[in-house]
Amino acid sequence: MLLTRRMEFSASHRLEPEGTGFSHGHNYELEVTLQGHVDAETGMVIDLKELKDLMDREVGVRFDHRDLNDDTSWFSDQLPTAENFAQVIFQLLDGELPERLLARVRLSPTPDYTVEVAR
Amino acid sequence: MTVRVTRRYSFSAAHVLARPEWSEEKNRDVYGKCANAAGHGHNYELEVTVRGDVDPESGHVVPVERLDAVVRRRVLDLLDHRFLNHEVPDFASEVPTAENIARFVWRALKGELSPAVLDRVYLRETSNNSVEYSEEGG
Repeated sequence: MLLTRRMEFSASHRLEPEGTGFSHGHNYELEVTLQGHVDAETGMVIDLKELKDLMDREVGVRFDHRDLNDDTSWFSDQLPTAENFAQVIFQLLDGELPERLLARVRLSPTPDYTVEVAR
Repeated sequence: MTVRVTRRYSFSAAHVLARPEWSEEKNRDVYGKCANAAGHGHNYELEVTVRGDVDPESGHVVPVERLDAVVRRRVLDLLDHRFLNHEVPDFASEVPTAENIARFVWRALKGELSPAVLDRVYLRETSNNSVEYSEEGG
């Protein structure tokens, strides 16, 4: 069974390798998809509140209304492109979820541009 | 880890769905009102998905500007605001159904985005009709 939860957050970044210029921002849309068995008793793959809290904690608190280059530690040695950002988010969530439950992360900096990281 | 990048584009084009060698009755039978000889148009929505490794230097599977430039040059410049049957040579012999347009896009982009690989072409012809195409070795 696949289960997807979506959230939005806003962050700024700059992609010049030696960037000292100004950042620009995006309203990011994030879709997190889990693949797992439906618990016979609860009828759920995961408690959606638990997943929401996890996404808030691992993504919202760290990145919402932050500058990815200056306010976070993840992009000191790699550029905060959508590809790299999606991989960071995948790793953060994967580390907090039961093994192999996380199937896919989709990250859209704009409605016309989406990056997908799958296991 | 597999990384896929999807970019969305739009274009508008006219077409008529009919095979010249068929009778009007047969074209009408197969294609319905889409066979009206004067043609009709759609606002197409196109999604192009590529997959590959993230280049450690650029941080991209393929730089967005490069993807946009290739899609513009090889697809949008040829199809946007055209009458597909009359102005695009591929559709002189092939009926420009959504399926065939998606395959046209696949042929146009295949191998053009190396080292990234073409993963999927999605074409929405109307809000009710869409096709999705992929084949090995994009």
